[in-house]
Formats: sequence, C-alpha cells, structure tokens
Amino acid sequence: MNSYVPALAWQSWEVLGRHLRVHVRNWYTAALPPVCEPLILLLAFGVGLGQQMSGLRWGGTNLDYLHYLAPGILAYTAFMSAFFQALFAAYIRMHFQKSWEGQLTTQVRLEHVVWGEALWAATLGTFYATLVCLVLAGFGFFGLLHLHWEWLPLTLPLLFLAGLAFASVGLCFTAILPSMDHMSLPFFLVIMPIGFSSSTYFPMPDLPVLNQILLANPLHHLAEGLRYLLVLGIPTWHLPAAAGLCLLMLAVLIPLDLRLLRKRVFGDG
Amino acid sequence: MSRSDAPLLDARGLVKDLGGKRVVDGVDLHCRAGEVLGLLGPNGAGKTTTLRMCYGFLRPDAGAITIAGHSLATDGDRARRSLGVCTQDDTYDSDFSVRGNLEQTARYYRPRIDQPKERIDELLRRFGLEAFAQQKPDTLSGGYKRRLMIARSIVHSPQLVFLDEPTTGLDPQARVAVWELIASLREAGLGVVLTTHYMDEAERLSDRLLVLQAGKVRASGAAKSVLGDVVGEHIVVLPVLGLEADAAAVTKVQDWLSRRGQKPAQVLNDWHLPFDGPGLAAFVAAFPELRYEVRAPTLDDLFLTLAGEGPSS
Repeated sequence: MNSYVPALAWQSWEVLGRHLRVHVRNWYTAALPPVCEPLILLLAFGVGLGQQMSGLRWGGTNLDYLHYLAPGILAYTAFMSAFFQALFAAYIRMHFQKSWEGQLTTQVRLEHVVWGEALWAATLGTFYATLVCLVLAGFGFFGLLHLHWEWLPLTLPLLFLAGLAFASVGLCFTAILPSMDHMSLPFFLVIMPIGFSSSTYFPMPDLPVLNQILLANPLHHLAEGLRYLLVLGIPTWHLPAAAGLCLLMLAVLIPLDLRLLRKRVFGDG
Repeated sequence: MSRSDAPLLDARGLVKDLGGKRVVDGVDLHCRAGEVLGLLGPNGAGKTTTLRMCYGFLRPDAGAITIAGHSLATDGDRARRSLGVCTQDDTYDSDFSVRGNLEQTARYYRPRIDQPKERIDELLRRFGLEAFAQQKPDTLSGGYKRRLMIARSIVHSPQLVFLDEPTTGLDPQARVAVWELIASLREAGLGVVLTTHYMDEAERLSDRLLVLQAGKVRASGAAKSVLGDVVGEHIVVLPVLGLEADAAAVTKVQDWLSRRGQKPAQVLNDWHLPFDGPGLAAFVAAFPELRYEVRAPTLDDLFLTLAGEGPSS
C-alpha cells in the first residue's frame, strides 16, 4: 500500500484530533514553554550577549546578534518541538500509555496512527513557531527587532513541512529505541549534530568540508532561508533547498517508519 | 444457510509465524450471533495471536477471516466496524476521563454512531460507570477498569466482540459483575469470543469451546464433549503423598499406568488419573484394595492434561 495515501484518511485526522483535544485541555501549561523559551533566549543571548559583541558579518552586511538569532530560533523551534513530540511523547503513548494499541483495535490502522503522530508533531511545531513569531513581534513592537514582518506568515507552511520531516526522524527512533533509558541517544546523534551545524545560533566557519555537510542539512537551509527572508527581505535558494530536503526525508523515512513500527508494535516483520 | 445462521466470525486455515516460530497453525473458528465461543489453551497455545488476527491487529500469513460477511483482508473498514475488542491489557486512553474515553473511541468509527451522547449515557448507566464518568480511568478499581474496557469495545454497537482474558486479576465479586455483563452481551444478540484461564468462567459463559494447543485446534464443541475427547469420562484422584498415601500401592499403580502408556498428572499430594468407562473398570479391578475418589472431569483437568502433554504434542 502507498505509504502516503493514509495521510489523507479520516482515521489519521481523528488521531491528530485526539492529540489536539488533549493539548487544548492543557493549553496554559503547554503554551508556556514555547513562549518563555524564545523570550529568555532572545533576552539573554540576543540582547544580553549581543551587547557584548561588536556584531556579525553575515550576508555581505553587518548584523547585530539579536537580528541574527531571531530567525534561527524560529527554525530551531519547528525542528526541536516536532522531533521531540514524535520521539518522546509518541514513545510514551506507544509504550507506556498503550493508547496506540487502544486505537489499533478500532478502524484505525498503524499507518493512520503513524501519520496522525507525524501530522500532530508538525502541527505542534508550527503552532510553537507561531508563538515564537508573536514573541518576535513583541520585540518589534518595542523597537528591538526590525524584520520584514510581511514575510512572517508565509514562513509557516515551510515550517510545517520541516516539522513533518523532523517528526519522521523522531518516529524512526521511536521504533528502534529499546527503552526509555536510551532516549538520550537521539539527542546526541541527531539533535546536537544537526542543531550545532545549522547556522541557527551562530554562523558556521567557512570551511570546505563543513560547507559540503551544511548543504545536506535541512535545518541550515531553513535557518539561512528565513534569515535572508526576514532580515533582508530576500527569498533565496535556501528556501527551496530546505523544502526539497524535507520532501526527500519524508520520501525515505515514512516508509521506513511504517516498516520499523510494524515490527515494533506487532512483533511482525 | 440463512443470513441469521451465517457466522459473524468465520476464520479458516489461520497460520501465523512470529519470530521464526509457527505460533498458529491451521486454526478454524466460527462464532454466531448470540453465542459465546470460549477459546482455551495453556500459555503459548496461540490464543491471543489467533484473537489478534481475528480482530485485524495482526495479519495472518495464511487463511481468511470474515466478520459479519466482510472480509478482513479486502473489506477491512467494514469488517472492523462490525467488531469490538476488549484487550487483555488496559488500553483505555489515560489522558481522557471515563466519559471522554467512550467519546474518543466512538470517533474512531465510520459510519459514526447515531446519537452518541445518548449511547454513551446508556453505556455509563448499564456498566455502572455513571458515578465515575468524569474521573480518569487510572483512579478506578480493577473491576471498573474492566467495565470501561468492555463498554469501550461496544460503544459503536458492533455485532461481534472479542474479550481477551477480561477478568484476569479481578476479585471474585468483580469477576461475577463482569460475567453478568458478558451474559448481557449474549442476550443482546452479540457474538462473543472469549479467552480465559479461569475454567469456571469458560464453563459458565461459553456455549462452545475451542481448545488450542501448540497453535493447533486440539478439540472443539460443547464443554462436555471437549472434556470427553481430551480428558476422558472419569477422573480418579489418588493420594500419593502424605498420610493417606500407600507407597507400595503407588508403585504398583505407576507400573500399571506405564504398561498402559499413561502418565499421571500430579496436583499437590494427589494423582489425577483420567479414564474412559472401560479404563476405569480395569483400574477398579486391578486395585480393589486402594482408597481413592472418582469424579467427573472439569476444565481444570483439561488444562492439566494439555500441560502434561507439553507443547510438542
């Protein structure tokens, strides 16, 4: 069966709806971290550390650190929250809460559960990114940030696609991690290498080998694409590169996720 | 065959390999409306795997399953709409209240249920869950958790329900309450497929039994005929340890049984020896001086017999 058709099935959207209902009920605690985290990071690093720095040379222009950091936080939020949701929260639902098994005894099948989890992770990542947009707008209101605000809403579909792609990586680990004790592995193997080689928080040094690696890092293209768009108002090749890499990840990882999770959930090769 | 006589569950030639081992090997099973089919067997006999194939959780490697006339393989959505499942583990959604669980489960079915609020109110009343409707399921006692699991399994008004060890771990009072609910499902005309380790439960609730051993059907039919086929007509209970035991006589009995190719099943201080009519007559004639008890076989004897035969039998 085509791995992508179930994304449109009503069962996948009911699974997404289930997660949304649980989240909305706890909105006040759930919305606090994605608002506080960028606020603290922008204040501590963007304003605080930024004042100690003479500025950065980026994109042929001088840029203060706060303006460098703001688009990076937007990209990192979509990446991190989608990955975390598809890994940690999905693992708990699958392994401890057994809510996957409860769903699988109805008209919902595994491909719907997996797509429901991926769509939910991407939705949550986009929602958290929207909250970051509001925080950035607050900085703009107080005259601390000057971005091309008109582009901000248009970044959300790309952030959703990126969230979906990073969720497919998280689900892969959900399928193969033997226990909760191994949950730190994907953080060392995925989050830190991708996060620190992505131009989200600081510019990458101009090294030939590193430049080749950066070409394959969707988070780098996402952060740089958003930065050119929001700081300079210029859409660059980084945006289609980010979208293309995310689509490639989905093409490879979703069938793999389904295969691995089938084995994990059903004990069936 | 008229429509009402057609089985709600019609599974033929089910085969399943898991981890390189054949777990289910050519099992057929059927269940009609208003009938309770008891699926029995020792641990590892293939009961849960068979059940999981029948409700679409696992795909059989071979064989065909039809639920209320819909093939699970080719018309899966309609087949799944016709069945409900109460799993062995508590698989309710712990993020929702008792009522929320029923509402959320109902959302996983199309066509949607008519008048969901009324249906859920009725189930809460019928299962004695009204007082706990707003509580999280984790706060309920074991018996009420099971009630919720059964209520979830029928929220969409299925025709066939699978109950996998629905009373395991419950106290006697809670077990009886669950038995009454299962009996009410049968009275309402649902087909029920039940697995259990409790022999009294299987005997009380089931219209027919299907006994699995090492993934194959060992016997099927009414409880009495299954017992006759697998165990025998009579059980001789002979004390072999303790004060009542006669060591010399026990050795003689052991030799006599070996000559007949029979192995005794030991339960605490006693041997339980199954015999048909002529076998019992031969035993009585061979050991006129022995003191022992003769009784009718029970499903416990069936379990002991199957366990004694081992998985390779």
